Amino acid sequence: MHILIVEDDEVARDYLAKALREAGHTVDVAGNGMEGLHMASSIAVDLAIVDRMLPKLDGLALVQSLRATGRKVPVLILSALGDVDDRITGLRAGGDDYLTKPYHMAELLARIDALARRGDTGNAEASTKLKLADLELDRMTRRVMRNGKKIELTAREFQLLEFMMRHSGQVVTRTMLLEGVWDYHFDPQTNVIDVHISRLRQAIDKDFDKPLLHTVRGAGYSLREDE
Amino acid sequence: MGPDQRFLGVLDTSPFRIAIVYSIVFAIGAAALIYAVDFAVSRVVDGSTDNLIEAEVQGLREQMLVLSRSDFIELIEQRSQDQDVRGAVYLMVDPQLRPVAGNVPAWPKVDASAGKWFLFKVSVPFGDETREHEMRAQRFPLPGGYRMLVGHDVQERQNVKSLMMRGLITAVVLTLLLGLGGGFWMGRRILAQAGAISAVATQIMRGDLSQRLPVRKADDEINTLAREINTMLDKIEQLTLGMRTVLDSAAHDLRTPLNRLQATAEGAMSSLKTGSPERRVLESVSTEVDQMRSTLDALLRIALAETGTVAREPVDLSALVASMVELYAPVSEERGIVLESSVALGAQVQGNRQLLAQALANLLDNAIKFTPDGGHIRVVLDGSGSAPEVIVEDNGPGIPADKREIVLGRRVRLDEARKFPGSGLGLSLVAAVTKLHGAHLVLDDAGPGLRVSLKF
Repeated sequence: MHILIVEDDEVARDYLAKALREAGHTVDVAGNGMEGLHMASSIAVDLAIVDRMLPKLDGLALVQSLRATGRKVPVLILSALGDVDDRITGLRAGGDDYLTKPYHMAELLARIDALARRGDTGNAEASTKLKLADLELDRMTRRVMRNGKKIELTAREFQLLEFMMRHSGQVVTRTMLLEGVWDYHFDPQTNVIDVHISRLRQAIDKDFDKPLLHTVRGAGYSLREDE
Repeated sequence: MGPDQRFLGVLDTSPFRIAIVYSIVFAIGAAALIYAVDFAVSRVVDGSTDNLIEAEVQGLREQMLVLSRSDFIELIEQRSQDQDVRGAVYLMVDPQLRPVAGNVPAWPKVDASAGKWFLFKVSVPFGDETREHEMRAQRFPLPGGYRMLVGHDVQERQNVKSLMMRGLITAVVLTLLLGLGGGFWMGRRILAQAGAISAVATQIMRGDLSQRLPVRKADDEINTLAREINTMLDKIEQLTLGMRTVLDSAAHDLRTPLNRLQATAEGAMSSLKTGSPERRVLESVSTEVDQMRSTLDALLRIALAETGTVAREPVDLSALVASMVELYAPVSEERGIVLESSVALGAQVQGNRQLLAQALANLLDNAIKFTPDGGHIRVVLDGSGSAPEVIVEDNGPGIPADKREIVLGRRVRLDEARKFPGSGLGLSLVAAVTKLHGAHLVLDDAGPGLRVSLKF
């Protein structure tokens, strides 16, 4: 994937670029807003990571200008501001995701992955049936089957599984789950998400040989078929 | 406000009260005026008739001395018939009070104590009917025990007087009604303006600092006041936005180095073997960064809530409480804690969903943290409609009564709580969020345990 980083903080930018290259991406960097807008408009990038406070052109203005010219490239906004409202203004300006500093690289990588694949999963979003190996989820009838056997889930477990299946093969972090399934944007002090996941795991993996729901150490969870 | 209340509200306004006071003052003035007019009219009119009668009596007395009785009687008859002297009455009676001459049918009963002037009534033909007219008269004795009465019809004067009185009283009543009506109208106007002002004030208190009081073109004191308040609001908005800017730069200046630290630590870690001492040091650095971040987040959210500059929208409190209970149910169940809930439907508040969720999460985090395994937590959303109350109750150690106020302050952790993880900002954030929503936060004894109530 070709990723553009627009970030004025050199230390953070260099580390981010290095980490993304190590993850196998092609990376371009810009140190200010004007340069960033110019690059985002002229180079065919697959994704842009834009810091919110930038010299010359503010990060939000950059995204707005980009959207105004019809560029649909996914944008992840990085912010060192407060939160609560900033997140909403960031997304309203045309950002696709929003992450507050300081962040863990694992969190950023998981979100980039989710953003990049959002285009591919456009079909999955529309289709009523999601499938992974022998696990099937029907959004219309709200039924879940594994290996032909019906699995009973609560409404929330169903939502959780649906979210995991739409991001199957990707790493999903706890905050992504709290945001995507519950629409809450805070860090709970207790391991609330882990317990929900372990219940879901009980329901879908317990009676079957091959586990589908995996814990990714230091990052989150992943629903995938192990080869 | 119902129509009755609105009506009663007008009665309480200052213009209406002023109108009442002025109406009373005016009524007293009008009464004095009526009295003065009556007095003056009486003096002028009564004076002129009295002079007439006095002159007539004087004339008759002189005639009496020179004329014989029969000539005098004729004179009286003549005078009585005289159409030019309208309203004049005469009566001459013999010693037995039998009428001898004149145009009054009978000698009136006169109180002996009355002076020379007296009033009496006579039936006077008026078209087909007769009317009682009031007469003012003087009497005097004639030679031979005869008596004479000379008077004048004062009915007309009475009529004029009563007509004038009626006119005056009508005018006064009309003026009073107009005064009260005007006062009522002014009161309503003031009330409408005051209502608009208080509606805007409520919105401003809810955090919409861009609102301004409605100002009309007129240069009256209310509009002047509204303009001045608007200028003040401009200042407050500037100050608050300034605070927000300071907050944002503080956030930026703290988050940027933390982010570098995290990046550097993670970058260095990636090249180290898992379990190596160097890696463990870096891992603890990363954990500390996380801890600092969560403290910073909490502090910023508290400050943000306190500036009141957070966007607000209608929040379905019932759904929020139910979803928070549902979020925390598995984790409490794992600890063997019974999380019981009773959530009333349809409760809505104007507020910030994320901050409310964070506040509830903090309360539930605390409850779960401090409640012993196998304990009991109760979450109640009471009363649907405009004033809902959220209660989170546990049977943990609770907070001593004398320390309940203190824990709401920033970064206060009771010694007993130090063995538990956390930033110590949980309840401070709850307090700030509660205040932002204009709600009341009460910490109470759940006997045993802590009972937290958020009353909106």
